[in-house]
Amino acid sequence: MRFAIATREELWARGRLIEQRLSHGEAFEEERGITASDARDDLLVAACDAAMEDLRRCVVPDVRIRLVAESRLDGVTSTIVASLGAHSVVTDPARIAADLVLLRRAALEPEAEAQPLPLVWKNGSAAVLLHEAIGHPAEQNVPPREWPAWLQVEHPLALRRASFRDVPLLRMTTLVARQQRAPFALPERRIEVLLVDGGAYDPLTDMVTVRIGAADLIEGGEVRGVAPFTFARPRTAISLLGASGDPIRYPGVICSREGQELVVGSHAPLMVTA
Amino acid sequence: MYRKRGSSVRYENGTFVRISECGVATEEGALFTCAPDPDRRADPFDAELPVAEITAAVQRSAVHCERLVLIDGIAEHQYGERTWSERTQRLHLALTHDRQRVLLDQASFDVTSIERIAAALARCDAERDAPAHLRLGANVSAALLPWLVGRVPPDVRLLQTAGGIDGKGNDIVEAEGEWPNWYRPSYRVRPERAPLNLRLESARTDIDPDLPLAIALLAPVSGLALRVLVEGRSSVYPATVVVTRILAAANERIWYPYGAGSFGAEMML
Repeated sequence: MRFAIATREELWARGRLIEQRLSHGEAFEEERGITASDARDDLLVAACDAAMEDLRRCVVPDVRIRLVAESRLDGVTSTIVASLGAHSVVTDPARIAADLVLLRRAALEPEAEAQPLPLVWKNGSAAVLLHEAIGHPAEQNVPPREWPAWLQVEHPLALRRASFRDVPLLRMTTLVARQQRAPFALPERRIEVLLVDGGAYDPLTDMVTVRIGAADLIEGGEVRGVAPFTFARPRTAISLLGASGDPIRYPGVICSREGQELVVGSHAPLMVTA
Repeated sequence: MYRKRGSSVRYENGTFVRISECGVATEEGALFTCAPDPDRRADPFDAELPVAEITAAVQRSAVHCERLVLIDGIAEHQYGERTWSERTQRLHLALTHDRQRVLLDQASFDVTSIERIAAALARCDAERDAPAHLRLGANVSAALLPWLVGRVPPDVRLLQTAGGIDGKGNDIVEAEGEWPNWYRPSYRVRPERAPLNLRLESARTDIDPDLPLAIALLAPVSGLALRVLVEGRSSVYPATVVVTRILAAANERIWYPYGAGSFGAEMML
């Protein structure tokens, strides 16, 4: 079976191009394993070039922008990673304007430290929590735990690889969480999660870790930005208190496993955890 | 302009991958560019990887092999007029037992330490405080050295070791404190100045062999607090060791693939 890929990647800082990469190759799966080389498929490279032309229109001068145009035998994808300070969003040409608003909001100086309060996962960020707590255990064949009956999570798995050099692994393609008649009440004192910097699931310890990059502390009618903090719980100790509304696309899951980084589409409703 | 031609065989958790590729990288002002080299092809490379031997060494103890990655490869480099070549072997192994995970990275396929560490992990007891004094195994100290850059403990020296060629075709020279050489782990990565092939020197080289030994890492190092598996006279346990002072470092060193290269040696804290 033949796998082929071409990727163009550009890194822009302060509106200037500082890194430019072309990668291409193919891999054949045979009885004795995978044989791979950097063979060029001109059609795939041409498709990348066309996609990169469109992506370059998204460069803005005050944000570090990484553009990735990737062409495989089954189609072309365009990804933009926009970074401000320690924060980043993963977006595309159609959504970059709205996602940059969120990124700039997240980059504001925090005014408070995190407190042990209920978390309200805004902007679809609960998808990251569920990615770690439900998606990764499923990828690694870890027995599922019971979740509230109002929560439905789709996380189709497929053999995926980041490049022609990699071994295909069973990975999520997307994660979409929905709620049906979930309870929902906004705690008066709460932390509202705006943006997540990363996450992890360890099958050995069953621990879920999510690094919250930007959040607001809501108390007494005041809103104050919270310094980055880590949400770490045993998977079985995660308590979902409620949810509201339709799934919201979260701009930001580049998932790394076994050194292979893949974009995973992520959607979740507004959700509350203890 | 930098050019690289390389081939390797890799074993990754049950799958063999054979890769051949050629790349070219340039830096013009602030712009770094890289791409496959359209003018050259790499010959395939194959080698026998000791998967069965390593698996057997692990299976002699009641531990689980969570991850095994073996790589053997050859590469030819060219920067300007200078050319050089290298043969690279890498082993990455993650072993688990109960809720502990041992991580091993080395530049050879030697199973001696694997067998000993697997046996120790199988006997692992509950967490304990780190002893006041202990020894760090060479595989543990090697992972620590890159984290000592800029915060070297008193009475020891952290040096770059002369020998070999850096990512821009320069001889790697002896250095301390300032790092004149360039690290280029792949043709796809912009080279940066970094300390290569670190070693630690101490006036004291005598190490008390009766002290407990930090035999392996239980987590990747990310500072001066090490999660380690400690082997005492009659027990093995996990502990967190905070490195503030290194009392002695042996002269016998082994190269490990941490940071831009690191010579581990037995050390006494």
